[in-house]
Amino acid sequence: MIRSHLLNMVVFSALVAVFFAFLTQTGTRDRLRVILILGGSMVVLSLVLAYVMYPFPLR
Amino acid sequence: MSETLVEQAIPKARPAAAPFVACVLAWLVPGLGHVYLGRRDRGAVFFVVVLAMFVLGMGSGGAASLIEEKQPLTFLATFDNVAVGPIDLIGRYMTYGTIAYALPGSEGDPRRAQLLDRLRSRVRTVTYEYGNTFLLTAGLMNILLILDAFDIAKGRKD
Repeated sequence: MIRSHLLNMVVFSALVAVFFAFLTQTGTRDRLRVILILGGSMVVLSLVLAYVMYPFPLR
Repeated sequence: MSETLVEQAIPKARPAAAPFVACVLAWLVPGLGHVYLGRRDRGAVFFVVVLAMFVLGMGSGGAASLIEEKQPLTFLATFDNVAVGPIDLIGRYMTYGTIAYALPGSEGDPRRAQLLDRLRSRVRTVTYEYGNTFLLTAGLMNILLILDAFDIAKGRKD
């Protein structure tokens, strides 16, 4: 369905962030904050980890 | 006793909300347990999110897990798939063309070969791993929703 690695990661992060925002917060502002922080960190940390792993060979 | 504005703003659980009913509803349809407890907005969001995870998972070539006795982790994966509710049946049918929960143990069993063939056709999909991740996450989310509905019905959480 979605063949792009990046898009898959962004969609996954967004859905998880929205889920936990609504599960743990009640106010709109708090939910938005959780969505931005959690979703953003998942995407950014994944990209950072990918760059850190880049020099290592597969075998 | 008068309530503060904050207390008035938080929706109250149904007075006679039964935790068991809330949990069963939450399993049957993701978010329905929250709707039953008076959290309609949250229930609707949970329904959309879990359903989106499931649809993306199946659309990306993910496969429902089968229990295989020699691989203990398959018990957990299958339990996780089942936790998403009856829509797991759709996932199983799309994966195997039938409703199956366990892989027959005998190597010569034609049903085992048939199930494995169907599974391999999905494993060959480029996005198979993404699909599985989406599917397993949908199950984990619904387990959290069931526990959350239980806590709300018990009055431990707003």
